[in-house]
Amino acid sequence: MPNRILQPELVAIDSIDFVAPKQHVLSDTTSLYHMKDVPNETSRFDLYFDAGVCRGQKGIPSFVNGLLMSGTKDKTSNELQSEINSLGGFLDCGISIENSVVTVYCLREHLPAIFKTVVHAIQGVTFDKNEVQEYLVDRRQSLKISQEKVGYLAQQRFREKLFASSQSYSYTLSVSDIDAVTIEELRDFHKKHYLNGLNKVVVVGDISDEVITEIKDAVTPIIVSSQEDFTDAITNEPGKFEQEKEGAVQAAVRLGRTLFNKNHDDYLDFLILNTILGDYFGSRLMTNIREDKGYTYGIGSMIAELNGTGYFLIATEVGSDVKDATLKEIQIETERLQSELVSEDELELVRNYMLGQLLKSANGPYAMTDLFLSAEIHGKSLKFYNQALASIRDITPERIQELAKKYLKWDDFSIVAVG
Amino acid sequence: MISFERFTLDNGLRIIFHKDATTPMVVVNTLYDVGARDESEDKTGFAHLFEHLMFGGSINIPEFDTPLQMAGGENNAFTSNDITNYYDVLPSKNIETGLWLESDRMLSLAFTPKSLEVQRSVVIEEFKQRYLNQPYGDVWLELRPLVYKEHPYKWATIGKEISHIEDATMEDVKSFFKKHYNPSNAILCIAGNIELEEVKSLTNKWYGDIPGGQKPVRNLPIEPKQLEFREKTIERKVPADAFYYAFRMVTRRNEDYLTVDVLSDALGRDKSSRLYLSLKKDQNLVSNIGAYITGSIDEGLLVISGKLNNGVSFEDLDAALWKELSALTTELVPTNELERLKIKIQTSKEFNDQGLLNRAMNLSMHELLGGAEKINEESEIYQKITPEDIQRIARETLNKTNCSLLKVKADNAE
Repeated sequence: MPNRILQPELVAIDSIDFVAPKQHVLSDTTSLYHMKDVPNETSRFDLYFDAGVCRGQKGIPSFVNGLLMSGTKDKTSNELQSEINSLGGFLDCGISIENSVVTVYCLREHLPAIFKTVVHAIQGVTFDKNEVQEYLVDRRQSLKISQEKVGYLAQQRFREKLFASSQSYSYTLSVSDIDAVTIEELRDFHKKHYLNGLNKVVVVGDISDEVITEIKDAVTPIIVSSQEDFTDAITNEPGKFEQEKEGAVQAAVRLGRTLFNKNHDDYLDFLILNTILGDYFGSRLMTNIREDKGYTYGIGSMIAELNGTGYFLIATEVGSDVKDATLKEIQIETERLQSELVSEDELELVRNYMLGQLLKSANGPYAMTDLFLSAEIHGKSLKFYNQALASIRDITPERIQELAKKYLKWDDFSIVAVG
Repeated sequence: MISFERFTLDNGLRIIFHKDATTPMVVVNTLYDVGARDESEDKTGFAHLFEHLMFGGSINIPEFDTPLQMAGGENNAFTSNDITNYYDVLPSKNIETGLWLESDRMLSLAFTPKSLEVQRSVVIEEFKQRYLNQPYGDVWLELRPLVYKEHPYKWATIGKEISHIEDATMEDVKSFFKKHYNPSNAILCIAGNIELEEVKSLTNKWYGDIPGGQKPVRNLPIEPKQLEFREKTIERKVPADAFYYAFRMVTRRNEDYLTVDVLSDALGRDKSSRLYLSLKKDQNLVSNIGAYITGSIDEGLLVISGKLNNGVSFEDLDAALWKELSALTTELVPTNELERLKIKIQTSKEFNDQGLLNRAMNLSMHELLGGAEKINEESEIYQKITPEDIQRIARETLNKTNCSLLKVKADNAE
């Protein structure tokens, strides 16, 4: 009969193997990173362009991203899709505030051919009138559907308040912008930000050096010639902003503030504070608002990073009748971290949890590549994660309290509720 | 090829062990052979509510999550109409904490009234968040009872209505546990860099003394063959008209199951599929369209769904759609099209098998379906599917009398 009362003895995580992909420098601005050690037939490539939302106006960056596979003078969109799908490729074009990324997952034997198709497609988009028309009609419909979701509306309002000081960062897509865009504007943006916009290439997979050389040659013409800076000075507009949504049975809550990224001295320790507050199942917010009060299916907090700055966010969807009660409890939890020291037990729990999660983030070539990239974007090497290990081990309750006092002031937050 | 070992404890617990020497993590996956189909019609949503209660502390351990997090691990669970699956992912050195926690909640729960009250509200909020407060969110609550008249697939995992969750009692909870949560009704899969001998001794230690219990006998009503086309229109405050064509299909264990999967891919997996090319790109009737199968163990569904473009009527769509469907019953799928579908399936399988957790969950599911070794047979079955197979299955499946259509009419469409 085993002892079921006592937890089996735990073994501490003493070290983690971090493996960097091989760097191939393509120019002053652009590198290719290759993670070759993949023990199976899968592969992936990512093409990063300096073509994020902040580089344009009126939704244009997002439309261009969505039209990258819409056809060249030689090939229709259907033909391009057929070439990729016939080789088993899964393609995704994604856009964020500062980046546009084209990603393909496929078997490694088909990577060279799919890569060629995708790069030609991006280089040669003609913005055919019918394709553009069809795309904009679809966007209009999907925007209208999104606008029926409290989560989407709250996220948009929050962005407006969070990036209040920068028009290009706080931009929210509107139906009138979809109606107003011209093909000329799309072509101009494409020329400027794609034909001269590639700023990173990532390849994961057991791909030969010959193929890597082919890839390097293929992308050379579209490498960005000089990298424009990203803003490092954004401040949020504090205050509470509420919006009614007729018929909603839940309210979406988003609150937070501009903060920093990996380049700030407080980043690693703040990450621990963030975990305590809202970044795991046993966090203060989950324990109080879900597991004690039952107000929500889920609540969480996070730090989001941008090239030159970052922000802190708490997000949840709660019953409409308990929206104010939820905000009150969030306030209590952020203030409790300022007024009371975290107990050693809780800190030990969070330490162990974070070490386990860091071990998991480095597990396997795909996870390891993404971990590497999230340091690389801020000019950090993998040594950064050894610093993270040290910071998790050395953190004290006093330091947590100091950071909470500095960064979790209720009056500094932009608070948005839609419902 | 996914290698594994299998053994059974004296109490009937089936254990699958999959060794992966490349990972520092270990997965402890527990599949219970119980889902929403095992509920009674006046107490729906119960299997899922119960899943939440499995985190509310067990007989000897007041809290599930804290010790696991203390071991550097994390966990989650999901409930479907067929099964309930719990998983823990933790550093392999601390595997014993995972086994300690999982075995204790298999032994017995704490059954605290507080846990029931809180999880009841959490699940009601989940109901609202996923099904009520989203455009088109309630579609499956409407579609299931249109298709299924007898079989318990007629209600969704979340439940038929919120009141069933509100009315659940502690007595219901206890009897549900007693009936379904025991070693003979579970499959445990352990995956990671450990040795078989260690797995044997640890599982014996932690699970060996749990009473085996009785594997419940499942005696579900058989859904009678559908003999007529069914149609229902609901009006909702949504921006666009939407359609859901649901065709009854074979069971998960039927030898034609994977052929139906390929058929659905031909219709609507990606931007090279038939419906996308014809109804969207050529005829401009829809803004999006896709086809998929539900993956149910009992007779499931092949579903074609999408949204209409402004100004297009349901009738226009209907005529164009049936034309495409009938092409599959009258003409053979060209070989190059079938090759395209197969390579896509193979690629997604390779990616799926990459993740340790996926492997553990899939091994458990295949063990339930008839033997974990079947996980390695699927690729070959897919490869052998011929154009004639697809045509035969299309003829059996894509009939009007086998179809239920749910239309969501936008009551504020422009």
